Amino acid sequence: MSLYVVDDAIRALAARRHLPNSHLAKWLAMDTGSRAALIEMVEPLKMRTGQIVVAIDLLDEIAIRERATVAAILSRADIRRSCVLDASGPAQAAAFLDALRAIRFPRLKLAIERLSAEVAALRLPAGLRVVLPKNLGSDELMIQLNARTPLEMRNLLDTLAAKKSELVRLAKLIGDDEA
Amino acid sequence: MKFDLDAIYIENACRDTSLAQRVLARGDTRTAIHFIADGRAASLPLGDAADSFAAGKRRMVIMRRRSPFLMGCPAGSAKFACCGYLVLTLASNCPMDCSYCFLQEYVADNPGFQIYANYDDAFAEIDKLIAAAPDRHFRIGTGELADSLAMDSITGLSIDLIKFFAARETLTLELKTKTDEIENLLELDPHGRVLVSWTLSPRRLYESSEYRTASPSQRIDAARRVLEAGYRVAFHLDPIVAYPEAEPDYIDLMDELFSSIDPARISFISMGGLRMTPALRAAARRRFPTDAMLLGEDVLSADGRYRTFTLMRLRLYRILSEKFKKTGAEIPAYLCMENSSVHHRVFGAPAPHPAETSERLAIR
Repeated sequence: MSLYVVDDAIRALAARRHLPNSHLAKWLAMDTGSRAALIEMVEPLKMRTGQIVVAIDLLDEIAIRERATVAAILSRADIRRSCVLDASGPAQAAAFLDALRAIRFPRLKLAIERLSAEVAALRLPAGLRVVLPKNLGSDELMIQLNARTPLEMRNLLDTLAAKKSELVRLAKLIGDDEA
Repeated sequence: MKFDLDAIYIENACRDTSLAQRVLARGDTRTAIHFIADGRAASLPLGDAADSFAAGKRRMVIMRRRSPFLMGCPAGSAKFACCGYLVLTLASNCPMDCSYCFLQEYVADNPGFQIYANYDDAFAEIDKLIAAAPDRHFRIGTGELADSLAMDSITGLSIDLIKFFAARETLTLELKTKTDEIENLLELDPHGRVLVSWTLSPRRLYESSEYRTASPSQRIDAARRVLEAGYRVAFHLDPIVAYPEAEPDYIDLMDELFSSIDPARISFISMGGLRMTPALRAAARRRFPTDAMLLGEDVLSADGRYRTFTLMRLRLYRILSEKFKKTGAEIPAYLCMENSSVHHRVFGAPAPHPAETSERLAIR
């Protein structure tokens, strides 16, 4: 696509989706290759306005963090893979954003994966759930217990008591990756 | 260090004050001087400036302070394990320009570089405080809304401050700075009651984000010189920025510090992770759009600020805390704007009450 065709396509999409002017400006401020690469990615995924805004922000931040162009970021294998999943359009768009977040927050992603694996290893029964803080933004661990009958309550509390040492370990791990 | 100003505005009522006279005598003769009725008008954002906050830094306003000088640290909150620091606001805004600085939000509506000529009133407020609590020690600092020493070669404020504090045994003055502007200090005897503290950052952070400040090595060298002149010294690792190379860089910085200054002679070291409200983050990113230091793995935390996610932030605190311990000098350390559970996790003990911390830091 020529430069003018790309910019016209971006403007047309921005108008259709009511993209905020600030984000249209960010998009148009990218280098030519990046502008084109992004619209080629966004159009087939049929992303919603909010998703486009998030994608532009993430790409902008990754480009600064890694001193890379948006075109180079979008050409990475993990990003390409996320877009060719055999899934619906919304699921593909969500996978694309997840792939961008994994690049933008690499250590957070690893930490969440590690802690989630620890939670899964607890093998808690239905009705008992360990909730990690959102994006590990605090060191507060939440345990959710849902019981409908006295018997269910008794069983869940017994399970909880039996898991005491593992839960204490998890509370340590959430603030110390070497615990 | 010399900072260029576009203009100096002096409130008519302050024309004959010692501060205005010193500024007129010592300032750059090329700087335009204006006498005005009310300094507050000259402190407002300039409508035609592309970056009104930066423009404010170059517009010194000598004026009266209309509100109390002495207050609790604005960073303090019941949510955090605080250090009980008291702030003496003698100036507002700063000629240096750090991309992460909270003043970008805090004084956005009032960015003129104000310096208050009626600072004798501040001394009266402090004497009243001492009279009300004669058995307590207070650490009082001037470096919260401004750098304590940045313009000291022109204002000479440190001279009056040091003389005042040196004569009062239950007070500790903290002059907090990112400069090496210490010449006035070297002429005075602080009687052990003045502490000069430097915010320290690794060279990589200094180069990317701390414009017009002294380099980390210059700050450490200035600290060594004031220590030799009878001052106490302290350091603030704040903000700690968790960029990819942060761990080795902060360790190298501590190695440089401890090789220049005997750890046993450091009054304290504070630590605080980079934290930004959404409004500050937006302002900082608008002003420094290519600074990668503003784009760490920051997430919205419970207090509504963006911070490096907890696990990574605590890891840095812990590594640094271990580094302090290894010196064998038992350097007092505290965390700024962190809650008590974080304090407990890092130091292995519950956070003391702010008044207790304040007393401990004031006395050492």
